[in-house]
Amino acid sequence: MAGGASRRPMNMKENQTQLERALQEWRVTTPLPARFQQQVWKRIERAEIPSISVVDALRAWFTMVFARPAFAVAYVTVLLLTGLALGFVQAGHKAARWDRQLEARYVQLIDPYQRGQP
Amino acid sequence: MKRAALILLVGLLVAVAGYCTLYYRGTREHRQMLESPAPELAWLKKEFRLGDAEFERIAKLHDGYLPRCAELCRRIAAKNSELQQLMTGTNVDAKAVEQKLKEAGELRVQCQQNMFNHFLEVSRQMPPEQGKRYLQWVHQRTLTPEHDMAQRHGEHQTMDHH
Repeated sequence: MAGGASRRPMNMKENQTQLERALQEWRVTTPLPARFQQQVWKRIERAEIPSISVVDALRAWFTMVFARPAFAVAYVTVLLLTGLALGFVQAGHKAARWDRQLEARYVQLIDPYQRGQP
Repeated sequence: MKRAALILLVGLLVAVAGYCTLYYRGTREHRQMLESPAPELAWLKKEFRLGDAEFERIAKLHDGYLPRCAELCRRIAAKNSELQQLMTGTNVDAKAVEQKLKEAGELRVQCQQNMFNHFLEVSRQMPPEQGKRYLQWVHQRTLTPEHDMAQRHGEHQTMDHH
């Protein structure tokens, strides 16, 4: 039993020596592919940059930007002014159109020739 | 992120509220005019800046004018119908046709006189400057079919030249 147990480390030692010898004798004869080193560096770079989606990037940007009170106030003010301006312009257009329609209706009311009569 | 979304939403709501406020304020007067019993007269009141008393007098004049105008239109239509009957016969009586044309023409003149008198009366109920403006405005749009014809004729001529 004791002899068997002491033989196993001996075998391992022998294997280790053989492996070291084989590795020392091993020569790589196959040429490396073109721009091998560059590609290795690129792969390393790619692995280092964490990949984030557009949505995540936008979310991060929004959170960062709206965290600034000045920006939040400016954003709300600009939207308020835009809404007011659009409402004012649209109301003006609508009122002008109604004005033209009512003007035409008044003229038709008082002038029978405009109604295709007599 | 929640704070950012809230600010984003508040901004949009504020924009919509601002839009609605000015839109409804800007169209309120016209919506009231359109909902009134006589939107055309309400427009006249606004356009020529009439006071309530002036407007009431003009509305009365208007109510009196419309039946007179309708009656004249009816008589002209009847005269046109008589003329049509004369023209469709086999033996057209030239003198009778001439007479009917004359009568229809007289009725048209009467109709236009009625219109002009009404415009004049309406303008007199307005403040002087507005009355003058009303007469000019109404003259440009009515009583001048010849002007319209000349304009159309001119347009055709211009097109021919091209």
